[in-house]
Amino acid sequence: MKVSRRDFIKLSAATAFASGLGLGYFQKSRGVQQNAGEIKTVRSVCSPNCTGACGFDALVYNGRIETLTQAADYPEPEYNPRGCLRGQSMMNLIYGPDRLKRPLIRVGKRGEGKFKAVSWDEALDYVADRLADIMKRHGPESVAISIQVPGTGYVHKGAMMRLASMFGWSALHGYTMNGDLPAFWSQTFGVQTEEFESLEWTNSKYIAIFGSNIMVTRLPDAKFVNIAAERGAKVVVVDPNFSPTAAKADEWVQINPSTDSAFALAIAREIIENRLYDEEFIKTYTDMPLLVRMDTQKRLMAKEVKELEEIAGKLNVPEYRDVFVVYDVNEGFKPVNPETLERDFEPAIEGEFEVELVDGKRVKVKPVFQLLKEEVQKYTPEKVAEIITPPNRNKGEYVDMIKRLAFEMATVKPLHIIYGASNYQWYHGDLKGRALALIVALTGNLGKSGAGISTYAGQFKIRWPLGAWWSFKGRKNKWVTYLLWMNKEYRQSEEFKKYNRETPYPKNDVKAFLFGWNNPFDQHNMANRMIEYAENGDLELIVAIDFQMTTSCKWADVVLPGVAWYEKYELTATILHPYVQLQQPAIEPLFECMPEIWIFKELAKRLVQKWNDEELKSSISEFYPDPELFDEEERARKDGTWSFRLARNIAHKASLKAVELMLKTGGELVEGITLEKLLKGPVRLNLPTPNKRQIPFWEQINLKKPFPPQSYPVPLQKTARFVKSGRIEFYKEEDVFIDLGETLPVHKDPFVDTEYRLNPEAKRKYRYFYITRNALYRVHSTHSNNITMLELQDFRPRVWLHPITAKENGIAEGDLVEVYNDRGRVYGYAVLDEGLHPSVIIFEQGWWSRYLRGTSYNSLTFPWIKPTHIVYFVPGIWEPTTAWNEVACAVRKVEV
Amino acid sequence: MVRYGMVIDLNRCIGCRSCAVICKIHNSLPPGTWWHRVETVGSKEHQTPSGDYPNLTELYLPVPCMHCDNPPCVKVCPVGATWKREDGVVLVDFERCIGCRYCMTACPYGVRQFNWEDKDKAVEKGFKAAGFEGEYVEGYRHGYPIDHRTKDGRLVYTPKRPRGVVEKCTFCVQYIDKGLKPACVRGCPGNARIFGDLDDPNSEISKVLRDGAHTRLLEDLGTEPKVFYLLPMKRAERGEVRYSPELEVKL
Repeated sequence: MKVSRRDFIKLSAATAFASGLGLGYFQKSRGVQQNAGEIKTVRSVCSPNCTGACGFDALVYNGRIETLTQAADYPEPEYNPRGCLRGQSMMNLIYGPDRLKRPLIRVGKRGEGKFKAVSWDEALDYVADRLADIMKRHGPESVAISIQVPGTGYVHKGAMMRLASMFGWSALHGYTMNGDLPAFWSQTFGVQTEEFESLEWTNSKYIAIFGSNIMVTRLPDAKFVNIAAERGAKVVVVDPNFSPTAAKADEWVQINPSTDSAFALAIAREIIENRLYDEEFIKTYTDMPLLVRMDTQKRLMAKEVKELEEIAGKLNVPEYRDVFVVYDVNEGFKPVNPETLERDFEPAIEGEFEVELVDGKRVKVKPVFQLLKEEVQKYTPEKVAEIITPPNRNKGEYVDMIKRLAFEMATVKPLHIIYGASNYQWYHGDLKGRALALIVALTGNLGKSGAGISTYAGQFKIRWPLGAWWSFKGRKNKWVTYLLWMNKEYRQSEEFKKYNRETPYPKNDVKAFLFGWNNPFDQHNMANRMIEYAENGDLELIVAIDFQMTTSCKWADVVLPGVAWYEKYELTATILHPYVQLQQPAIEPLFECMPEIWIFKELAKRLVQKWNDEELKSSISEFYPDPELFDEEERARKDGTWSFRLARNIAHKASLKAVELMLKTGGELVEGITLEKLLKGPVRLNLPTPNKRQIPFWEQINLKKPFPPQSYPVPLQKTARFVKSGRIEFYKEEDVFIDLGETLPVHKDPFVDTEYRLNPEAKRKYRYFYITRNALYRVHSTHSNNITMLELQDFRPRVWLHPITAKENGIAEGDLVEVYNDRGRVYGYAVLDEGLHPSVIIFEQGWWSRYLRGTSYNSLTFPWIKPTHIVYFVPGIWEPTTAWNEVACAVRKVEV
Repeated sequence: MVRYGMVIDLNRCIGCRSCAVICKIHNSLPPGTWWHRVETVGSKEHQTPSGDYPNLTELYLPVPCMHCDNPPCVKVCPVGATWKREDGVVLVDFERCIGCRYCMTACPYGVRQFNWEDKDKAVEKGFKAAGFEGEYVEGYRHGYPIDHRTKDGRLVYTPKRPRGVVEKCTFCVQYIDKGLKPACVRGCPGNARIFGDLDDPNSEISKVLRDGAHTRLLEDLGTEPKVFYLLPMKRAERGEVRYSPELEVKL
């Protein structure tokens, strides 16, 4: 399809009409204003890293965005309007004082913020020279890139991945870098993550929210909790702290921090004890009927069983599957076909059996359910009340509450559990997730409308195969795990050597770091160490791509000015609402800012000249999806007609070509979705469910397809090996799970394996939990410098503490306080909050260092690595994930 | 004749302040000026609970101009600059206002604001408070870019925002006169707002007010506000879990 620039303008005007703005919007008001310029509206997509991807109409007047209004053009009227205060005031960033204007090269010390403005040619040549040198000395894999969340921009973020693939650079996966990957998903279901679209919330009759502040963190979707409640659903919030979400719930249950697994296991125990579980469901879809050997703690495989050896030999299953065994109540030991969930056996789920192995040895075996039943016996309501009840609360009431909630969750269907990121971003987050998943599995609440478990963080899940654009001629980039980069000590530890089988690390460490859409020097665990690498020269080159001068840009050697989402064409497809959408340029990029696809193309073009790879050299014009576009710009350079406008227009065209390429090669999920349709408005993905609704595991539960569904972009065999039985697995048999006593979901207290192991003194010195929650006024660190958001916060950061905590530390409301530990510190003004847990101190994440006396609030964090996370390595799906909240701290008043 | 009013559903309101922000952006309000506020009732800090454990609550209250049917601000205006239009919208004629601020004293809701300084000055002060070193790029200012006058020619919206006049929420007169809804209604992600004709018995707003328990602020003053609040439901009235009779016996 060929689309001219003029056509776009026509189409975007059509979009505006379709979105209900109507002709009136374009009419000048009656009267005096004579010099009124052209008014137009352009529909684009607001897409910072909140996963909202909300459609917005930009009103453009005299070439500037004057207002932003939610487009409200989603086909399901319930979704309208999507968007919030941050998106509505985005112009404060686009036209704000921190807007980048020209490429910059550092002239002062790193972090000092002294730069000289240079031409694009100078900046790009400089970066290419330095990169080529580092690649030659340390190998191309020592160049690391970060694109943060892919869902917010398949074209331009894809262009950076495309560049990385050309030379085999290492990519950091945002999902684990940000701690947004809840590891229980891969361990239990074999997937990256799953979640309902928010419209499905209204089909639940019971919504149990464990440590998620949806009313703030999922702002455009929050209303669906209220609508569900209006329709008769019960909403329960389990959280150490009262929150806006708790305020809207029927019930708020305050528990001690990071004790959700104990709570969930008590609920599971009540369900099992009272036989409230869905027996048909657990026999059909889970590993609960499978037998486990008591001698090895491994699952019994059919090929090990004497009487099944022959049948097992004949079964033809893929290498990523294993044939396990059940004890059929009529036929005895029987192999289980891992390639289907159609059940041809009637398993005993309780009891102990003896089986003769091929070598004649007789061993005892038990079904997983039996083991689970034995394990959860430890979690009686009385014992769990000891763990979860906050200080000064009545434990007896908690015992009753556990019993009551267990009964409600077991019997009111559909049940939806929301497991919040602030809850899983702990060292034992995977255990909590496995325990919560147990509740929905035992009660058969999966794969149905309104029934399931969801986690809502990150926009990482790729919705369909993107390889045609994301990799250059089929080349592959490498990967580097962020926490391994930050945690040198762990890389050299015995534990790592013992358990790591696949996780790669660049031979010569990370030497160059290029990042876009990202503010790692403020915003990442642990910011201090990143700064250390910058200061001591471990990092030889730091390149930032952004449209604003962030803290991280200040740490860079070179800053390349990119654009905001009203200045380019881009494709978005985020997780929460299953729409494919197009960003469209409402305005020309300001100053010398350039669409990122152009920046990466130019870097690629310069790098191939300095790198010995003839194939790359000869095919470089293919960096743009249409080589003719590449050549067109080169011709203009030669004949002296090159201009920013020309290069941008070509970049816009190339962006649209990339969109078309990804749609054309994306397979059935995007079949029939065309650029033309996207120019008219959002289009729903072709999900294989009724009404194309996002209902996790619908195919597994309703069509009996084995677990897992595919997690793009990796091939199925990479993730299917996580759940070799083809079932939902609560029993993990890899050695590290056996060694840690985590074959089944269990509860482990916070800090014991982390802070107190690192420094036993911490228990005495740092008595509080340092929780960094998401703020209403920022999307992570985006909008930290939005004047309107700042005004709503009186221009100052806050530290929330319980009045008891304040009293203990001699702090009064409004005092300037310092929260600290051995690693770092953060400053804010005290807010006394009766709804907090007394051992919790809250700081709202995302403040740039310049508002915090130059410190990063992430200087207190630590890059903990849990060894269960290095059993496999599939980038962003099974790898170590950041545990932001596993931080002990103290607080004191700052004398001013 | 239409008579415009607004319903704000306090069950649906999530306290996100998007209404306040979109109002500020669309109406060209600089730092320091808010025509629309959202606060948490009884709390010093927004979205922090009031009360004692376990009886904690957060009730968010958005407050725009009430567009009273019996507006005290209109009565006290010595020059007729503020008036109630035939559609019930209370407006200020910026060209007639002399800045005496009687109306601000008269308004029991505190929604009127005096424009003490030039917009540029206000931006400068805001940027200073924020610690910014620069300015918006090339004198950028946000807001609906075109002046709006009523049919009889009175200036009721201008992005220039003249100094020395009183201003307030206009129900986004520049939009409603074109058949659009006020920005706060279009920009509410909680679907908490309904705007429409109170005199049309078939309008959504009339239906909602007929069906649901609602209140108005400071009703006893007799100002007859046209902003109505749907009351927060009692917990017992919602989220009722329906058990099967068999299970209920067990419980």
